[in-house]
Amino acid sequence: MTTQPAQISTDLASLNGKAYPIIPGETILSFCRRNLGQDSIPTLCDAPNLDPFGSCRVCSVDVALVENGKTKTMASCHTPVTKGMFIQTDSDSIQDLRKNIIELVLTDHPLDCLTCEVNGNCELQDVAARVGIREVRYPEGKNHLHYEKDKSHPYMTSDFSKCINCYRCVRACDEVQGQFVLSMAGRGFDSHIVKGIDESFFDSDCVSCGACSQACPTSAISDIFQSKSITQAEKTRTICTYCGVGCNLEVSHKNGKILSIQAPYDATANSGHTCLKGRYAFKFYDHPDRLTSPLIKRNGKFEEATWDEAYDFIADKFKQLIKDHGPDSIAGISSARTPNEENYLMQKFMRAVVGTNNIDCCARVCHSPTALGMQRAFGTGAATNSVDDVYLTKCMLVIGANPTDAHPVTGARIKQVAMKGVPLIVIDPRKIELAKYATYHLQLRPGTNVALLNMMLYYIISEGVADQAFVDARCEGYDEFKEHILQLDVDQMEQITGVDKNLVREAALCYATAECAMEFHGLGVTEHTQGTFTVMQIADLAMITGNIGKPGAGVNPLRGQNNVQGAADMGAQPHQGAGYMDVTNPAMNEKYNLFYGKEVPSHVGLKIPEMFDAAIEGKLKSLWLIGEDVVQTDPNTQKVIKALSNLELLVVQELFMTPTAELATVILPGASFLEKSGTFTNGERRVQRVNQVVEPIKGCKSDGQIIVDIMNRMGFEQEDYTAEGVLEEISQIVPFFKGITRENLGVNGLQWPVLTHGVDTQILHQEDFKRGKGKFHYFDFKESNEVEKYEKDYPYIITTNRELEHYNCGAMTRRTGNVEILTEDVLLICQEDATKNGIQDGDMVCVESARGKADIRAKITDEVKPGVLSSTFHFPEIMLNNITSDEHCSEAMCPEYKVVSCRIRKAKNLGARKPGAVQEKV
Amino acid sequence: MSDNLSELSGRKGLKYNLFDEMGKRAQDSGTVPSEELDKLAKDFLIGKANTYGTATFYDFLKPENKGKKAYVCNGSACLCAGTQDKVISNLEKQFKPEEIGHMCCLGRCHENAAFHIAGTNYSGQDIDQLDKVLDKNSPAKADSYHVEAHGKAVLTRPFGGMDTHYAKLLKWIEAGRDSVLNEIKESGIRGRGGAGFPMGFKLESCKNEPGETKFIVCNADEGDPGAYSDRYLLEFQPHSVLFGMMMAGFVIGAKTGVLYIRAEYPESIKIVADAIEELNKAGLLGDSVGGTDFSFDFKIIKAQGAYICGEETALLSSIEGQRPEVRVRPPYPTQQGLFNKPTVVNNVETLAALHFILNEGGSAYKKLGTEKSSGTKLISLDSYFNRPGMYEVEMGTPLSTVIDELGQGFKEPVKALHIGGPLGGLVPVDKCAGLNVDFESFAQNGFLLGHASVVSIPATFPIVAYLEHLFEFAAYESCGKCFPCRLGTQRGHEMFQKARTEGYKIDRKLLNDLLDTLQQGSLCAHGGGIPLPVKNAVQYFDDELNEYFA
Repeated sequence: MTTQPAQISTDLASLNGKAYPIIPGETILSFCRRNLGQDSIPTLCDAPNLDPFGSCRVCSVDVALVENGKTKTMASCHTPVTKGMFIQTDSDSIQDLRKNIIELVLTDHPLDCLTCEVNGNCELQDVAARVGIREVRYPEGKNHLHYEKDKSHPYMTSDFSKCINCYRCVRACDEVQGQFVLSMAGRGFDSHIVKGIDESFFDSDCVSCGACSQACPTSAISDIFQSKSITQAEKTRTICTYCGVGCNLEVSHKNGKILSIQAPYDATANSGHTCLKGRYAFKFYDHPDRLTSPLIKRNGKFEEATWDEAYDFIADKFKQLIKDHGPDSIAGISSARTPNEENYLMQKFMRAVVGTNNIDCCARVCHSPTALGMQRAFGTGAATNSVDDVYLTKCMLVIGANPTDAHPVTGARIKQVAMKGVPLIVIDPRKIELAKYATYHLQLRPGTNVALLNMMLYYIISEGVADQAFVDARCEGYDEFKEHILQLDVDQMEQITGVDKNLVREAALCYATAECAMEFHGLGVTEHTQGTFTVMQIADLAMITGNIGKPGAGVNPLRGQNNVQGAADMGAQPHQGAGYMDVTNPAMNEKYNLFYGKEVPSHVGLKIPEMFDAAIEGKLKSLWLIGEDVVQTDPNTQKVIKALSNLELLVVQELFMTPTAELATVILPGASFLEKSGTFTNGERRVQRVNQVVEPIKGCKSDGQIIVDIMNRMGFEQEDYTAEGVLEEISQIVPFFKGITRENLGVNGLQWPVLTHGVDTQILHQEDFKRGKGKFHYFDFKESNEVEKYEKDYPYIITTNRELEHYNCGAMTRRTGNVEILTEDVLLICQEDATKNGIQDGDMVCVESARGKADIRAKITDEVKPGVLSSTFHFPEIMLNNITSDEHCSEAMCPEYKVVSCRIRKAKNLGARKPGAVQEKV
Repeated sequence: MSDNLSELSGRKGLKYNLFDEMGKRAQDSGTVPSEELDKLAKDFLIGKANTYGTATFYDFLKPENKGKKAYVCNGSACLCAGTQDKVISNLEKQFKPEEIGHMCCLGRCHENAAFHIAGTNYSGQDIDQLDKVLDKNSPAKADSYHVEAHGKAVLTRPFGGMDTHYAKLLKWIEAGRDSVLNEIKESGIRGRGGAGFPMGFKLESCKNEPGETKFIVCNADEGDPGAYSDRYLLEFQPHSVLFGMMMAGFVIGAKTGVLYIRAEYPESIKIVADAIEELNKAGLLGDSVGGTDFSFDFKIIKAQGAYICGEETALLSSIEGQRPEVRVRPPYPTQQGLFNKPTVVNNVETLAALHFILNEGGSAYKKLGTEKSSGTKLISLDSYFNRPGMYEVEMGTPLSTVIDELGQGFKEPVKALHIGGPLGGLVPVDKCAGLNVDFESFAQNGFLLGHASVVSIPATFPIVAYLEHLFEFAAYESCGKCFPCRLGTQRGHEMFQKARTEGYKIDRKLLNDLLDTLQQGSLCAHGGGIPLPVKNAVQYFDDELNEYFA
């Protein structure tokens, strides 16, 4: 899995009589494949992303240590090639051996190839054909042909009568996902694959990542989409839309229909792995609920309209509003789900066509503090390193992120590295899955990040483990910072956070003394009133330990939406235009004016929460929203509804009729990621090509074309949308996209900044920080207003989170098989609090805050401590955001989803929990 | 083999050991209840498929073992002795058939009729006195057999008391790791587990590995039916084994010695545990042994019934609570062994020899035996000999000396000796004269010294039945990881079973293909070794076998 390039040496080994240079440490199999071709040696148990295992023995070769000397048969997959070996890959005896092994395999395999799902794409079939099996000579004996197919799961299937015991599934579950759902049971001939204690896929702890299915060489484990069937011959590679990992997906399709998805092994971002959202949750794309016509609300009812009618309606209204109330009466919320090109066009529309900086995107409600905080500390608001650096790091620090649910491929990688013995520090109020594997879990009270990080900084300084050389050479503001830190009362911080100071000390020393330490954070850092400050403290931690600008280190925000990095890069924010140039800076603005051929505004526009306030006040008259269900996902639902209802024109561009779309004046049916082209930028600044797989569903248009159409309707000339064309335009204005062309992105994309000749950047701030010197900032801990105001009447703190199976508002995932796996939002509550309130597992609980209430089913767990509750907002039936508050980050206005004061009581039960509602995880 | 599982198991280490815990939890019912598998999976974060996968591998943990109360030895020696039908029928008078299981083997090959009840082994006349056996108030009587050294006694020297026995321990610690290693290298000792790998080389490579934590593991999983020499050492010379482990551990930098002792040897486990306690009382364990900077402790792991655990990598996985499936090499255990840490695994007999080597000197040991096979070897003789028992001979001693002088010949006509365990060669009696007891002599003649156990096949015992038995054993004990062994041993068993009972005629080409596939293709010596006795049988007993071939 590591990406270290191997060095070819001058030592030689002979392969079928010809000498080739070897790479030290490589196996004979890799040596043969490198020199004789990928198919030079047949194998069954080998797989590109798994460690050598040596079970099938089909890859055996003859090896002599002197020319024409005595040979020994060795399995090439796990025997290192050494200097002076004489290897024969196809001697008579090797050919016999392979044939005899396969003959044995066929004594316990159903010979029903013609009707088998993988007929034509079965590795056993290929190898059998290649070695030339003509008969099975053994008398009929014991076999496993009676095994029945497991069809319990919405995606995964198994038919172990087809199993050849290669263990690839078991190893994938272990070495790739780290879930340990699969094992062999029994021994010898009786050994057979089991899920859990001989359970079905559905009843097991399976997280449905499908790694086993992709690894299986036959159809013993597969999926309902029959992703290994050769009928799925047409393949398009694109990028997943579900999170910031940026998994590459290989989408099979035929006749304009998507059939299945696999993860390509050569993808840097995901190395042949992905999660159940990426691999299986695609059936939303042609779901009957898709909006297929523009709709205009007349007399409170939506009526179908033609595109022309809808465009005219919108353009006329925009023009009139600009005329009557000025351009700032209009605002746009662009979508971090859509490609860079579409985000670029949307902000361009707002700035150059309407003439307002009222443009924002969902980064506001997730990582705006990261962008701002990192800009203030380093000069650049993006991840400093690449996720692959986990394979180099000596210590990992995960703060306020639950990657095994929210960024599953990154989560799996972190877990793998932790299981190899690299220390892992988790700072989180919940005992998340990674916390169980962590060396240190600092389970703090929600909202006290600043206090906890100050404690860590205190110990690093007071114990003398700061990297003074780095600080002196690369940073500024340290002396003042140090003085503040050393004045801290650590005992008080211990009280505030609820974390044993000795544990904090040990964790701090572990992070500080590691040769290189890598930080990851998520919304548990940003969605707080002190979110931006926390990000700056994380920057302090990295700088004080010299963990910037080198491999295996850095500050690495785990970006939530697939293109939230890109949306901000493209200027979908009110204070910076495309390429992060300050809109209030005249020189910068001049650049935009020239480039767009239109005067752009020079005052900062409205951030999303300000847009809602302005709408309620009547100052904002119109909002154009792309792919964002703010009613369900933004805090304080009733306020959001009030704001949207107060608008004169609400344009919602969507795939489905969401609670937000219900409030629209005009709905425009957009296209999903599978139906359009462009680029997404993942959380490690990797700009990757999104390739259209199928045409937009009939009646829908790509969002880029919709924006272009409206631009033209408003009298601004913009060429029809092409991914190449818009990217070229972007590369001319966004400095760090300068060297990007659609072509040179290649299959694995490029990490920005990309220089003119296409050279990209894996690690930022290697010589200097973007801002020159890295800046230290100190912040006092401040209790959230929410707690200060409401603690007395609302004594519990609910902190919101995400579940693996669903994405954000769930508009997509709830329209896939995922909803059969996780059927509802649940409230995590500890036994002590449950008992105190007379709540039993599965009971409905009414959670009430100063804003409103929501009824949720309780799940009793040790994941949360007493006084702390947790839940998700994937389901509109629950509308958890009825209870969340208006509190937000003082700097970036990111809402405080993570600290909501509430009280609980048992609610009326709505019957038994639906099957599969809650999955126990290992 | 999973690095992740090794690491996760290693986090809890040997104190709260996964495999140990499974054994404890199976104590009452004979299997690990599924709620316990679930709980252990959560404790170790390894998923219940893994705890279940492990439990189902072992004879004494698997669900089918539930409710078993008596176990009949089904090893080759008891089979050939023909004693077990009576054992079963007598046991069936006291137990329901479903309460009777099998064990292989109890190491009572010198008198056979072996069985096991409630943690105690019985053999010989015991089956005729079941009432006494089942009477909880009547203490079990240990078996006894003849022990004799032919020439220099290295392993069978009488124990001279704690002080004398351990007199040199501290001196060697003071002399340093290199001195001890050099002495061991000087002796030329090769591993006695069967492979004959030079011990000094193994210790040195582990010593050179970086790492704070290392392990010395004693492979006391003597599973070869017919062998009981390790049992002899564990029960009669435990302090030689422990001394050897401490010294080997000292050389490589290990602070912990793990003894992996098979459940079929309950007496051995107890005696070794007592010996460790004696060592503890003598102040020679724990932190700073005898005031030196060497710290050492022992841990006994009780095996749970799986022959493959005698293979060193399977044994390591077993200690970790993983399925004991054979690992690929590299990495070698000396690089990445127990809990992913550098580890040396040595056989009981190899470790026990260090006491002589480090007391009498490596050169004294080197003088014994042959040039390539120095030292002595224990040989266990079964009940077909007039004087069954444990014999220590110098390497290179003629086999005929062992048979005729030490064993004093056979009680009744014997046609072949199966020497070196189930994977050893099948030696026709008329070939014995040309063999000497050393690795080279056996190999040159197409046999295998192995662990030097001797099972006699009486003239009346059909070779076809013996081959069926061997394949059955091989199939039953195959770990199932590699294709040739998992499938091939099963098909081999079926072929011979059908030939013996159903008139099936074995195709010689097919059998040859099968044997070549096993020998050439198997991952470890289990599948790779089973063809040897079969090929010997086909070569030397063709007259007898001919009717079963097409």
